[in-house]
Amino acid sequence: MITIKDLGFTYGETGGLKTITLNKEKGHMLPEDRYVLKNINMNLEEGRIYGLLGENGVGKTTLLTLLCGLKKPQTGSIDIDGHNPYDREPSFLADQYYLSDEVAPMNIKAIDYARNYGKFWEGFSLEKFIEIMKELETDPEQKMTRMSFGQLKKTYISFALACNTKYLFMDEPTNGLDIPSKAQFRKAVTKHTREDSVIVISTHQVRDLENIIDPIIILDRQDVLLNATMAEIAERLYFDYTSDKTDDALYSEMIPGGSIQVTLNQTGEDSKINLEALFNAVHQNKELIKGIFNK
Amino acid sequence: MKTNDIFNFRRFGKYFTSDLRTCWANYGLSLLTIAILFPVVTYFLTNAFNLVLNSTWDGPDIGLRSFIFIVATICLVVTMPVKCYGKITEKQYGSFFLTLPASRLEKFVSMFLMTSIIAPALGFALYLGTDAIICALDHTCGRNLVAGAMELIRNMGDMKELTMNFVDESITIENAALVHEILGQISNPWMYIDEIFGITLPFLLGAIYFKNGKTVKTILAIFAFSMATSIIMTPFMETWAAEIVRNANADPNTILQMFNNGIFKHLVLIDTISDTVVNLALMAGIWLRIKTLKH
Repeated sequence: MITIKDLGFTYGETGGLKTITLNKEKGHMLPEDRYVLKNINMNLEEGRIYGLLGENGVGKTTLLTLLCGLKKPQTGSIDIDGHNPYDREPSFLADQYYLSDEVAPMNIKAIDYARNYGKFWEGFSLEKFIEIMKELETDPEQKMTRMSFGQLKKTYISFALACNTKYLFMDEPTNGLDIPSKAQFRKAVTKHTREDSVIVISTHQVRDLENIIDPIIILDRQDVLLNATMAEIAERLYFDYTSDKTDDALYSEMIPGGSIQVTLNQTGEDSKINLEALFNAVHQNKELIKGIFNK
Repeated sequence: MKTNDIFNFRRFGKYFTSDLRTCWANYGLSLLTIAILFPVVTYFLTNAFNLVLNSTWDGPDIGLRSFIFIVATICLVVTMPVKCYGKITEKQYGSFFLTLPASRLEKFVSMFLMTSIIAPALGFALYLGTDAIICALDHTCGRNLVAGAMELIRNMGDMKELTMNFVDESITIENAALVHEILGQISNPWMYIDEIFGITLPFLLGAIYFKNGKTVKTILAIFAFSMATSIIMTPFMETWAAEIVRNANADPNTILQMFNNGIFKHLVLIDTISDTVVNLALMAGIWLRIKTLKH
Protein backbone atom coordinates (compact mmCIF):
# COMPACT_ATOMS: atom_id res chain seq x y z
CA MET A 1 0.00 0.00 0.00
CA ILE A 2 1.10 3.54 -0.69
CA THR A 3 0.59 6.11 2.05
CA ILE A 4 1.07 9.75 1.21
CA LYS A 5 1.12 12.15 4.17
CA ASP A 6 1.16 15.96 3.95
CA LEU A 7 3.21 15.74 0.78
CA GLY A 8 4.57 19.01 -0.53
CA PHE A 9 6.80 19.75 -3.49
CA THR A 10 7.95 22.92 -5.14
CA TYR A 11 10.14 23.84 -8.08
CA GLY A 12 12.46 26.82 -8.21
CA GLU A 13 15.22 28.21 -6.09
CA THR A 14 13.00 29.69 -3.37
CA GLY A 15 11.13 26.46 -2.97
CA GLY A 16 10.08 25.98 0.59
CA LEU A 17 12.37 28.71 1.95
CA LYS A 18 10.11 31.02 3.89
CA THR A 19 12.98 33.22 4.99
CA ILE A 20 13.34 34.72 1.53
CA THR A 21 11.34 37.92 1.31
CA LEU A 22 9.68 38.45 -2.02
CA ASN A 23 7.23 41.08 -3.09
CA LYS A 24 4.05 39.67 -4.55
CA GLU A 25 3.02 43.03 -5.98
CA LYS A 26 6.18 43.11 -8.07
CA GLY A 27 5.24 39.79 -9.57
CA HIS A 28 7.46 37.66 -7.36
CA MET A 29 5.99 34.35 -6.39
CA LEU A 30 5.98 33.70 -2.71
CA PRO A 31 7.43 30.37 -1.63
CA GLU A 32 3.94 29.28 -0.64
CA ASP A 33 2.66 29.88 -4.18
CA ARG A 34 5.47 27.88 -5.74
CA TYR A 35 4.19 24.64 -4.29
CA VAL A 36 3.04 22.34 -7.05
CA LEU A 37 1.82 19.83 -4.52
CA LYS A 38 0.87 20.88 -1.02
CA ASN A 39 -0.49 18.91 1.90
CA ILE A 40 -1.41 15.96 -0.27
CA ASN A 41 -2.82 13.07 1.72
CA MET A 42 -4.03 9.81 0.24
CA ASN A 43 -3.76 6.06 0.42
CA LEU A 44 -3.40 3.96 -2.72
CA GLU A 45 -4.61 0.43 -2.18
CA GLU A 46 -3.61 -2.85 -3.74
CA GLY A 47 -5.48 -4.37 -6.66
CA ARG A 48 -6.50 -1.06 -8.18
CA ILE A 49 -5.72 0.89 -11.33
CA TYR A 50 -5.74 4.55 -10.37
CA GLY A 51 -6.41 7.17 -13.01
CA LEU A 52 -4.55 10.38 -12.21
CA LEU A 53 -6.25 13.31 -13.91
CA GLY A 54 -5.67 17.04 -13.82
CA GLU A 55 -5.01 20.11 -15.90
CA ASN A 56 -1.57 20.90 -17.26
CA GLY A 57 0.90 21.84 -14.55
CA VAL A 58 -1.05 20.62 -11.53
CA GLY A 59 1.66 18.11 -10.66
CA LYS A 60 0.59 14.76 -12.08
CA THR A 61 4.05 13.92 -13.41
CA THR A 62 5.62 15.39 -10.26
CA LEU A 63 3.49 13.10 -8.09
CA LEU A 64 4.44 10.05 -10.16
CA THR A 65 8.14 10.91 -10.04
CA LEU A 66 7.89 11.38 -6.27
CA LEU A 67 6.22 7.98 -5.96
CA CYS A 68 8.94 6.20 -7.88
CA GLY A 69 11.81 7.99 -6.11
CA LEU A 70 12.99 10.26 -8.90
CA LYS A 71 12.30 13.29 -6.72
CA LYS A 72 12.56 13.97 -3.02
CA PRO A 73 9.50 15.27 -1.15
CA GLN A 74 10.22 18.66 0.35
CA THR A 75 7.58 18.28 3.03
CA GLY A 76 5.63 15.29 4.23
CA SER A 77 6.35 11.68 3.36
CA ILE A 78 5.61 8.79 1.05
CA ASP A 79 5.62 5.27 2.40
CA ILE A 80 5.47 2.31 0.05
CA ASP A 81 5.40 -0.96 1.97
CA GLY A 82 7.80 0.52 4.52
CA HIS A 83 10.13 2.04 1.92
CA ASN A 84 10.87 5.69 1.32
CA PRO A 85 10.99 5.81 -2.51
CA TYR A 86 13.75 8.44 -2.62
CA ASP A 87 16.14 6.03 -0.87
CA ARG A 88 15.99 4.07 -4.15
CA GLU A 89 16.73 0.78 -2.42
CA PRO A 90 17.13 -2.03 -4.95
CA SER A 91 14.62 -4.19 -3.03
CA PHE A 92 12.02 -1.43 -3.54
CA LEU A 93 13.04 -0.60 -7.12
CA ALA A 94 12.75 -4.28 -8.08
CA ASP A 95 9.06 -4.19 -7.21
CA GLN A 96 8.15 -1.02 -9.07
CA TYR A 97 8.41 0.33 -12.61
CA TYR A 98 8.05 3.89 -13.81
CA LEU A 99 7.15 4.47 -17.43
CA SER A 100 8.05 8.03 -18.31
CA ASP A 101 6.07 10.08 -20.84
CA GLU A 102 9.35 10.62 -22.70
CA VAL A 103 10.96 7.37 -23.75
CA ALA A 104 14.57 6.87 -24.79
CA PRO A 105 15.62 5.20 -28.05
CA MET A 106 18.44 2.87 -26.94
CA ASN A 107 21.02 1.81 -29.47
CA ILE A 108 20.03 -1.89 -29.32
CA LYS A 109 17.23 -4.20 -30.49
CA ALA A 110 14.08 -4.24 -28.35
CA ILE A 111 14.61 -7.92 -27.52
CA ASP A 112 18.21 -7.27 -26.45
CA TYR A 113 17.04 -4.37 -24.31
CA ALA A 114 14.57 -6.70 -22.59
CA ARG A 115 17.23 -9.40 -22.12
CA ASN A 116 19.79 -6.90 -20.86
CA TYR A 117 17.62 -5.12 -18.31
CA GLY A 118 14.75 -7.49 -17.57
CA LYS A 119 16.93 -9.58 -15.26
CA PHE A 120 16.89 -6.81 -12.67
CA TRP A 121 13.18 -7.33 -12.01
CA GLU A 122 12.54 -10.68 -10.35
CA GLY A 123 9.14 -11.13 -11.93
CA PHE A 124 10.29 -10.27 -15.44
CA SER A 125 9.35 -12.70 -18.18
CA LEU A 126 10.92 -12.51 -21.63
CA GLU A 127 8.11 -14.67 -23.06
CA LYS A 128 5.59 -12.22 -21.69
CA PHE A 129 7.52 -9.32 -23.22
CA ILE A 130 7.47 -10.99 -26.63
CA GLU A 131 3.78 -11.84 -26.23
CA ILE A 132 2.81 -8.24 -25.38
CA MET A 133 5.00 -6.92 -28.18
CA LYS A 134 3.10 -9.21 -30.56
CA GLU A 135 -0.24 -8.06 -29.14
CA LEU A 136 0.84 -4.46 -29.69
CA GLU A 137 2.05 -5.39 -33.20
CA THR A 138 5.66 -4.36 -32.67
CA ASP A 139 8.71 -6.30 -33.82
CA PRO A 140 11.01 -7.16 -30.90
CA GLU A 141 13.89 -7.73 -33.33
CA GLN A 142 13.79 -4.11 -34.48
CA LYS A 143 16.50 -1.71 -33.32
CA MET A 144 15.03 0.85 -30.92
CA THR A 145 16.77 3.78 -32.59
CA ARG A 146 14.90 2.92 -35.83
CA MET A 147 11.47 2.81 -34.18
CA SER A 148 8.83 5.50 -34.43
CA PHE A 149 7.76 7.20 -31.20
CA GLY A 150 4.63 5.02 -31.05
CA GLN A 151 6.60 1.80 -31.56
CA LEU A 152 9.09 2.88 -28.93
CA LYS A 153 6.29 3.62 -26.50
CA LYS A 154 4.78 0.18 -27.16
CA THR A 155 8.17 -1.42 -26.51
CA TYR A 156 8.44 0.30 -23.15
CA ILE A 157 4.82 -0.53 -22.29
CA SER A 158 5.56 -4.19 -23.08
CA PHE A 159 8.68 -4.07 -20.94
CA ALA A 160 6.84 -2.36 -18.07
CA LEU A 161 4.10 -4.99 -18.07
CA ALA A 162 6.55 -7.88 -18.51
CA CYS A 163 8.39 -6.74 -15.36
CA ASN A 164 5.32 -7.89 -13.43
CA THR A 165 5.92 -5.45 -10.57
CA LYS A 166 3.56 -4.70 -7.73
CA TYR A 167 3.79 -0.95 -8.32
CA LEU A 168 3.48 0.41 -11.82
CA PHE A 169 3.50 4.13 -12.52
CA MET A 170 2.69 5.21 -16.05
CA ASP A 171 2.85 8.80 -17.25
CA GLU A 172 0.69 9.45 -20.31
CA PRO A 173 1.14 5.90 -21.64
CA THR A 174 -1.28 6.31 -24.55
CA ASN A 175 0.40 9.43 -25.96
CA GLY A 176 1.73 8.59 -29.38
CA LEU A 177 -0.26 5.38 -29.73
CA ASP A 178 -2.54 4.90 -32.72
CA ILE A 179 -6.24 4.05 -32.25
CA PRO A 180 -5.94 0.22 -32.42
CA SER A 181 -2.94 0.33 -30.11
CA LYS A 182 -4.93 2.17 -27.47
CA ALA A 183 -7.45 -0.67 -27.36
CA GLN A 184 -4.61 -3.20 -27.28
CA PHE A 185 -3.00 -1.25 -24.47
CA ARG A 186 -6.19 -1.43 -22.37
CA LYS A 187 -6.41 -5.16 -23.03
CA ALA A 188 -2.75 -5.69 -22.14
CA VAL A 189 -2.99 -3.75 -18.88
CA THR A 190 -5.97 -5.76 -17.68
CA LYS A 191 -4.51 -9.07 -18.87
CA HIS A 192 -0.87 -8.78 -17.84
CA THR A 193 -0.89 -7.14 -14.41
CA ARG A 194 -0.87 -8.78 -11.00
CA GLU A 195 -4.02 -8.92 -8.92
CA ASP A 196 -2.31 -7.25 -5.97
CA SER A 197 -0.66 -4.52 -8.04
CA VAL A 198 -1.10 -0.80 -7.56
CA ILE A 199 -1.13 0.89 -10.94
CA VAL A 200 -1.21 4.65 -11.25
CA ILE A 201 -1.79 6.03 -14.74
CA SER A 202 -1.57 9.74 -15.37
CA THR A 203 -3.39 10.90 -18.47
CA HIS A 204 -5.09 13.70 -20.35
CA GLN A 205 -6.69 11.20 -22.72
CA VAL A 206 -9.43 10.07 -20.34
CA ARG A 207 -11.36 8.32 -23.10
CA ASP A 208 -8.40 6.08 -23.82
CA LEU A 209 -8.55 4.63 -20.34
CA GLU A 210 -12.21 5.09 -19.42
CA ASN A 211 -12.92 1.41 -18.99
CA ILE A 212 -9.86 0.38 -17.02
CA ILE A 213 -9.17 3.07 -14.45
CA ASP A 214 -10.86 2.85 -11.09
CA PRO A 215 -10.56 4.80 -8.75
CA ILE A 216 -10.16 8.28 -10.17
CA ILE A 217 -7.87 10.90 -8.65
CA ILE A 218 -8.36 14.46 -9.85
CA LEU A 219 -5.56 16.80 -8.89
CA ASP A 220 -5.83 20.55 -8.73
CA ARG A 221 -3.04 23.02 -8.03
CA GLN A 222 -1.89 22.18 -4.49
CA ASP A 223 -4.95 20.04 -3.82
CA VAL A 224 -6.69 16.72 -4.43
CA LEU A 225 -10.19 17.45 -5.67
CA LEU A 226 -11.37 13.88 -5.92
CA ASN A 227 -10.11 10.44 -4.95
CA ALA A 228 -12.99 8.03 -5.34
CA THR A 229 -13.89 4.71 -6.88
CA MET A 230 -16.25 4.53 -9.82
CA ALA A 231 -18.88 3.02 -7.50
CA GLU A 232 -18.56 5.96 -5.09
CA ILE A 233 -18.81 8.43 -7.97
CA ALA A 234 -21.89 6.69 -9.41
CA GLU A 235 -23.43 6.64 -5.95
CA ARG A 236 -23.03 10.39 -5.47
CA LEU A 237 -23.24 11.81 -8.98
CA TYR A 238 -25.69 11.14 -11.77
CA PHE A 239 -24.79 11.33 -15.45
CA ASP A 240 -27.89 12.21 -17.44
CA TYR A 241 -27.70 11.61 -21.18
CA THR A 242 -31.25 12.80 -22.00
CA SER A 243 -31.88 16.11 -23.72
CA ASP A 244 -34.05 17.40 -20.83
CA LYS A 245 -32.17 20.25 -19.27
CA THR A 246 -32.15 20.58 -15.49
CA ASP A 247 -31.32 23.80 -13.69
CA ASP A 248 -29.39 22.18 -10.86
CA ALA A 249 -26.88 20.45 -13.13
CA LEU A 250 -23.29 20.70 -11.89
CA TYR A 251 -22.13 20.53 -15.47
CA SER A 252 -23.82 20.25 -18.82
CA GLU A 253 -22.49 19.90 -22.32
CA MET A 254 -24.02 19.41 -25.75
CA ILE A 255 -22.92 16.18 -27.37
CA PRO A 256 -23.91 14.75 -30.76
CA GLY A 257 -27.46 13.48 -30.46
CA GLY A 258 -28.29 15.23 -27.19
CA SER A 259 -26.53 16.45 -24.10
CA ILE A 260 -24.80 15.21 -20.99
CA GLN A 261 -25.51 16.63 -17.58
CA VAL A 262 -23.90 15.85 -14.27
CA THR A 263 -26.14 16.25 -11.26
CA LEU A 264 -26.10 15.11 -7.65
CA ASN A 265 -27.46 11.58 -7.44
CA GLN A 266 -30.50 12.05 -5.24
CA THR A 267 -32.42 8.97 -6.36
CA GLY A 268 -29.60 6.43 -6.02
CA GLU A 269 -30.09 5.50 -9.66
CA ASP A 270 -27.07 4.05 -11.46
CA SER A 271 -25.60 5.84 -14.48
CA LYS A 272 -22.65 5.42 -16.83
CA ILE A 273 -19.83 7.71 -15.81
CA ASN A 274 -18.41 10.00 -18.47
CA LEU A 275 -14.90 10.90 -17.33
CA GLU A 276 -14.64 14.11 -19.32
CA ALA A 277 -17.95 15.36 -17.93
CA LEU A 278 -16.89 14.26 -14.45
CA PHE A 279 -13.58 16.13 -14.79
CA ASN A 280 -15.33 19.32 -15.89
CA ALA A 281 -18.03 19.01 -13.22
CA VAL A 282 -15.36 18.62 -10.53
CA HIS A 283 -13.43 21.62 -11.82
CA GLN A 284 -16.47 23.85 -11.92
CA ASN A 285 -17.63 22.83 -8.44
CA LYS A 286 -14.41 22.22 -6.53
CA GLU A 287 -15.58 22.89 -2.99
CA LEU A 288 -18.96 21.22 -3.47
CA ILE A 289 -17.39 18.05 -4.86
CA LYS A 290 -14.76 17.96 -2.10
CA GLY A 291 -17.55 18.35 0.43
CA ILE A 292 -19.59 15.53 -1.10
CA PHE A 293 -16.72 13.05 -1.36
CA ASN A 294 -14.96 13.89 1.91
CA LYS A 295 -18.05 13.19 4.01
CA MET B 1 18.95 0.15 4.97
CA LYS B 2 19.77 -3.56 4.66
CA THR B 3 23.30 -4.62 3.59
CA ASN B 4 21.78 -6.29 0.54
CA ASP B 5 20.42 -2.90 -0.51
CA ILE B 6 23.88 -1.33 -0.29
CA PHE B 7 25.97 -3.84 -2.23
CA ASN B 8 25.26 -7.30 -3.53
CA PHE B 9 27.94 -9.05 -5.61
CA ARG B 10 25.46 -11.05 -7.68
CA ARG B 11 23.41 -7.99 -8.56
CA PHE B 12 26.57 -5.98 -9.20
CA GLY B 13 27.71 -8.67 -11.64
CA LYS B 14 24.41 -8.37 -13.50
CA TYR B 15 24.59 -4.59 -13.46
CA PHE B 16 28.19 -4.48 -14.61
CA THR B 17 27.56 -6.80 -17.58
CA SER B 18 24.52 -4.71 -18.56
CA ASP B 19 26.58 -1.56 -18.24
CA LEU B 20 29.32 -3.11 -20.35
CA ARG B 21 26.83 -4.05 -23.09
CA THR B 22 25.20 -0.61 -23.08
CA CYS B 23 28.58 1.14 -23.15
CA TRP B 24 29.71 -1.07 -26.00
CA ALA B 25 26.52 -0.23 -27.93
CA ASN B 26 27.00 3.49 -27.29
CA TYR B 27 30.74 3.77 -27.52
CA GLY B 28 32.10 0.62 -29.17
CA LEU B 29 32.38 2.15 -32.62
CA SER B 30 34.06 5.30 -31.30
CA LEU B 31 36.51 3.17 -29.29
CA LEU B 32 37.40 1.12 -32.37
CA THR B 33 37.77 4.29 -34.41
CA ILE B 34 40.15 5.84 -31.89
CA ALA B 35 42.11 2.68 -31.11
CA ILE B 36 42.44 1.25 -34.61
CA LEU B 37 41.85 4.05 -37.07
CA PHE B 38 44.21 6.55 -35.40
CA PRO B 39 47.41 4.42 -35.81
CA VAL B 40 46.36 3.14 -39.24
CA VAL B 41 45.60 6.63 -40.58
CA THR B 42 48.83 7.98 -39.04
CA TYR B 43 50.77 5.20 -40.77
CA PHE B 44 49.24 5.76 -44.20
CA LEU B 45 49.34 9.57 -44.00
CA THR B 46 53.02 9.58 -42.97
CA ASN B 47 53.91 7.20 -45.77
CA ALA B 48 51.87 9.23 -48.26
CA PHE B 49 53.65 12.46 -47.24
CA ASN B 50 57.05 10.76 -47.36
CA LEU B 51 56.29 9.39 -50.81
CA VAL B 52 55.20 12.76 -52.14
CA LEU B 53 57.85 14.90 -50.46
CA ASN B 54 60.87 12.58 -50.19
CA SER B 55 59.96 9.81 -52.65
CA THR B 56 60.64 7.26 -49.90
CA TRP B 57 58.49 4.66 -48.19
CA ASP B 58 59.11 5.56 -44.57
CA GLY B 59 56.63 4.85 -41.77
CA PRO B 60 56.01 7.08 -38.75
CA ASP B 61 58.81 6.92 -36.17
CA ILE B 62 58.25 6.10 -32.51
CA GLY B 63 58.18 9.79 -31.54
CA LEU B 64 55.28 10.63 -33.84
CA ARG B 65 53.46 7.42 -32.92
CA SER B 66 53.88 8.19 -29.20
CA PHE B 67 52.44 11.66 -29.77
CA ILE B 68 49.43 10.27 -31.67
CA PHE B 69 48.99 7.67 -28.92
CA ILE B 70 48.75 10.48 -26.33
CA VAL B 71 46.26 12.36 -28.55
CA ALA B 72 44.18 9.18 -28.93
CA THR B 73 44.26 8.61 -25.16
CA ILE B 74 43.03 12.15 -24.54
CA CYS B 75 40.24 11.65 -27.12
CA LEU B 76 39.23 8.40 -25.42
CA VAL B 77 39.23 9.82 -21.90
CA VAL B 78 37.32 12.94 -22.94
CA THR B 79 34.65 11.30 -25.10
CA MET B 80 33.96 7.99 -23.34
CA PRO B 81 32.20 9.20 -20.15
CA VAL B 82 29.98 11.60 -22.11
CA LYS B 83 28.90 8.92 -24.58
CA CYS B 84 28.36 6.22 -21.95
CA TYR B 85 26.93 8.16 -19.02
CA GLY B 86 26.29 11.72 -20.20
CA LYS B 87 22.67 10.99 -21.00
CA ILE B 88 21.70 10.34 -17.38
CA THR B 89 21.17 14.06 -17.03
CA GLU B 90 18.38 13.78 -19.62
CA LYS B 91 14.98 12.83 -18.30
CA GLN B 92 14.32 9.84 -20.59
CA TYR B 93 17.60 8.09 -19.90
CA GLY B 94 18.15 9.37 -16.39
CA SER B 95 14.77 8.19 -15.12
CA PHE B 96 15.56 4.66 -16.22
CA PHE B 97 19.10 4.78 -14.82
CA LEU B 98 17.89 5.93 -11.42
CA THR B 99 15.01 3.47 -11.15
CA LEU B 100 16.98 0.45 -12.38
CA PRO B 101 17.05 -1.98 -9.44
CA ALA B 102 20.70 -1.72 -8.46
CA SER B 103 22.14 0.20 -5.53
CA ARG B 104 23.81 3.58 -5.84
CA LEU B 105 27.11 2.03 -4.81
CA GLU B 106 26.85 -0.64 -7.51
CA LYS B 107 26.08 1.99 -10.14
CA PHE B 108 29.00 4.10 -8.92
CA VAL B 109 31.52 1.25 -8.85
CA SER B 110 30.45 0.10 -12.31
CA MET B 111 30.82 3.63 -13.69
CA PHE B 112 34.25 3.98 -12.10
CA LEU B 113 35.51 0.65 -13.40
CA MET B 114 34.19 1.31 -16.89
CA THR B 115 35.67 4.79 -17.31
CA SER B 116 38.89 4.43 -15.35
CA ILE B 117 39.93 0.85 -15.98
CA ILE B 118 37.97 -1.10 -18.62
CA ALA B 119 37.73 1.52 -21.38
CA PRO B 120 41.33 2.80 -21.07
CA ALA B 121 42.68 -0.77 -20.79
CA LEU B 122 40.70 -1.93 -23.82
CA GLY B 123 41.61 1.20 -25.76
CA PHE B 124 45.31 0.81 -24.93
CA ALA B 125 45.30 -2.91 -25.78
CA LEU B 126 43.64 -2.30 -29.15
CA TYR B 127 45.83 0.69 -29.95
CA LEU B 128 49.09 -0.96 -28.94
CA GLY B 129 48.05 -4.18 -30.69
CA THR B 130 47.37 -2.29 -33.92
CA ASP B 131 50.67 -0.44 -33.56
CA ALA B 132 52.53 -3.71 -33.00
CA ILE B 133 50.95 -5.23 -36.14
CA ILE B 134 51.86 -2.16 -38.22
CA CYS B 135 55.46 -2.25 -36.96
CA ALA B 136 55.73 -6.00 -37.56
CA LEU B 137 54.50 -5.59 -41.15
CA ASP B 138 56.58 -2.53 -41.94
CA HIS B 139 60.05 -2.33 -40.37
CA THR B 140 60.48 1.30 -41.47
CA CYS B 141 58.37 2.24 -38.41
CA GLY B 142 61.04 0.94 -36.05
CA ARG B 143 60.16 -0.44 -32.64
CA ASN B 144 56.55 -0.72 -31.62
CA LEU B 145 55.25 1.41 -28.74
CA VAL B 146 55.28 -1.43 -26.21
CA ALA B 147 58.90 -2.31 -26.98
CA GLY B 148 59.80 1.39 -26.86
CA ALA B 149 58.11 1.84 -23.48
CA MET B 150 59.78 -1.28 -22.09
CA GLU B 151 63.14 0.07 -23.10
CA LEU B 152 62.35 3.45 -21.53
CA ILE B 153 61.37 1.79 -18.26
CA ARG B 154 64.48 -0.36 -18.37
CA ASN B 155 66.62 2.74 -18.86
CA MET B 156 64.86 4.66 -16.12
CA GLY B 157 65.20 1.69 -13.81
CA ASP B 158 68.91 1.59 -14.35
CA MET B 159 69.49 4.74 -12.32
CA LYS B 160 72.87 3.92 -10.97
CA GLU B 161 74.44 3.87 -14.38
CA LEU B 162 72.63 7.04 -15.32
CA THR B 163 73.67 8.81 -12.15
CA MET B 164 77.28 7.89 -12.55
CA ASN B 165 77.31 9.85 -15.79
CA PHE B 166 76.80 12.97 -13.70
CA VAL B 167 79.78 12.28 -11.55
CA ASP B 168 82.63 14.24 -12.98
CA GLU B 169 85.03 16.68 -11.55
CA SER B 170 82.38 19.26 -10.73
CA ILE B 171 79.84 17.05 -8.85
CA THR B 172 80.59 15.40 -5.54
CA ILE B 173 79.73 11.79 -4.76
CA GLU B 174 77.21 13.08 -2.18
CA ASN B 175 75.36 15.12 -4.84
CA ALA B 176 75.50 12.23 -7.28
CA ALA B 177 73.71 10.18 -4.64
CA LEU B 178 71.13 12.97 -4.34
CA VAL B 179 70.56 13.00 -8.11
CA HIS B 180 70.21 9.25 -7.94
CA GLU B 181 67.58 9.57 -5.23
CA ILE B 182 65.60 12.28 -7.05
CA LEU B 183 65.65 10.35 -10.32
CA GLY B 184 64.63 7.26 -8.43
CA GLN B 185 61.63 9.08 -7.02
CA ILE B 186 60.66 10.50 -10.41
CA SER B 187 60.91 7.11 -12.11
CA ASN B 188 58.69 5.36 -9.54
CA PRO B 189 55.77 4.02 -11.66
CA TRP B 190 53.28 4.50 -8.82
CA MET B 191 53.71 8.25 -9.25
CA TYR B 192 52.07 7.96 -12.68
CA ILE B 193 49.57 5.15 -12.16
CA ASP B 194 47.20 7.17 -9.94
CA GLU B 195 47.44 10.02 -12.46
CA ILE B 196 45.20 7.93 -14.77
CA PHE B 197 42.29 8.37 -12.34
CA GLY B 198 43.10 12.05 -12.08
CA ILE B 199 42.45 12.31 -15.82
CA THR B 200 39.42 10.01 -16.17
CA LEU B 201 37.47 11.01 -13.04
CA PRO B 202 37.06 14.76 -13.82
CA PHE B 203 35.56 13.91 -17.21
CA LEU B 204 33.21 11.35 -15.66
CA LEU B 205 32.09 13.89 -13.08
CA GLY B 206 31.66 16.53 -15.80
CA ALA B 207 29.62 14.10 -17.92
CA ILE B 208 27.11 13.40 -15.18
CA TYR B 209 27.14 16.85 -13.59
CA PHE B 210 26.74 19.28 -16.49
CA LYS B 211 23.54 19.12 -18.51
CA ASN B 212 25.11 20.48 -21.70
CA GLY B 213 28.52 21.53 -22.96
CA LYS B 214 29.87 18.72 -20.79
CA THR B 215 33.40 18.48 -22.24
CA VAL B 216 34.00 22.22 -22.61
CA LYS B 217 32.70 22.96 -19.12
CA THR B 218 34.83 20.15 -17.66
CA ILE B 219 37.95 21.53 -19.35
CA LEU B 220 37.11 25.01 -18.06
CA ALA B 221 36.55 23.62 -14.56
CA ILE B 222 39.92 21.82 -14.65
CA PHE B 223 41.52 25.04 -15.85
CA ALA B 224 39.87 27.02 -13.04
CA PHE B 225 40.92 24.42 -10.46
CA SER B 226 44.51 24.47 -11.73
CA MET B 227 44.55 28.27 -11.56
CA ALA B 228 43.21 28.21 -8.02
CA THR B 229 45.74 25.63 -6.82
CA SER B 230 48.55 27.56 -8.53
CA ILE B 231 47.52 30.74 -6.73
CA ILE B 232 47.38 28.89 -3.42
CA MET B 233 50.74 27.17 -3.96
CA THR B 234 52.59 30.26 -5.22
CA PRO B 235 53.50 31.72 -1.77
CA PHE B 236 54.95 28.36 -0.71
CA MET B 237 57.01 27.92 -3.84
CA GLU B 238 58.01 31.54 -4.33
CA THR B 239 60.88 31.69 -1.83
CA TRP B 240 62.35 28.43 -3.01
CA ALA B 241 62.01 29.35 -6.71
CA ALA B 242 63.57 32.77 -6.05
CA GLU B 243 66.56 31.08 -4.43
CA ILE B 244 67.02 28.83 -7.46
CA VAL B 245 66.96 31.86 -9.75
CA ARG B 246 69.41 33.68 -7.48
CA ASN B 247 71.82 30.74 -7.58
CA ALA B 248 71.33 30.01 -11.26
CA ASN B 249 74.90 30.86 -12.05
CA ALA B 250 76.37 29.10 -9.03
CA ASP B 251 78.24 25.82 -9.30
CA PRO B 252 76.19 22.62 -9.86
CA ASN B 253 76.80 21.42 -6.30
CA THR B 254 75.08 24.48 -4.79
CA ILE B 255 72.10 24.09 -7.14
CA LEU B 256 71.83 20.38 -6.43
CA GLN B 257 71.88 20.99 -2.67
CA MET B 258 68.75 23.12 -3.10
CA PHE B 259 66.93 19.95 -4.08
CA ASN B 260 68.16 18.33 -0.88
CA ASN B 261 64.90 18.91 1.01
CA GLY B 262 61.81 17.04 2.21
CA ILE B 263 59.76 17.76 -0.92
CA PHE B 264 62.11 15.93 -3.26
CA LYS B 265 63.02 13.19 -0.81
CA HIS B 266 59.38 12.30 -0.34
CA LEU B 267 58.19 13.20 -3.83
CA VAL B 268 56.28 9.97 -4.47
CA LEU B 269 54.57 10.11 -1.10
CA ILE B 270 53.58 13.77 -1.49
CA ASP B 271 52.41 13.20 -5.05
CA THR B 272 50.47 10.08 -4.07
CA ILE B 273 48.79 11.81 -1.13
CA SER B 274 47.81 14.89 -3.15
CA ASP B 275 46.57 12.78 -6.07
CA THR B 276 44.66 10.49 -3.72
CA VAL B 277 42.98 13.47 -2.03
CA VAL B 278 41.95 14.92 -5.41
CA ASN B 279 40.79 11.52 -6.70
CA LEU B 280 38.80 10.84 -3.52
CA ALA B 281 37.18 14.27 -3.80
CA LEU B 282 36.26 13.54 -7.43
CA MET B 283 34.86 10.12 -6.49
CA ALA B 284 32.85 11.70 -3.69
CA GLY B 285 31.48 14.20 -6.22
CA ILE B 286 30.46 11.40 -8.59
CA TRP B 287 28.87 9.44 -5.76
CA LEU B 288 26.96 12.51 -4.54
CA ARG B 289 25.73 13.27 -8.04
CA ILE B 290 24.37 9.73 -8.44
CA LYS B 291 22.82 9.93 -4.97
CA THR B 292 21.13 13.27 -5.42
CA LEU B 293 20.27 13.26 -9.13
CA LYS B 294 16.56 13.90 -9.63
CA HIS B 295 14.28 13.96 -12.64
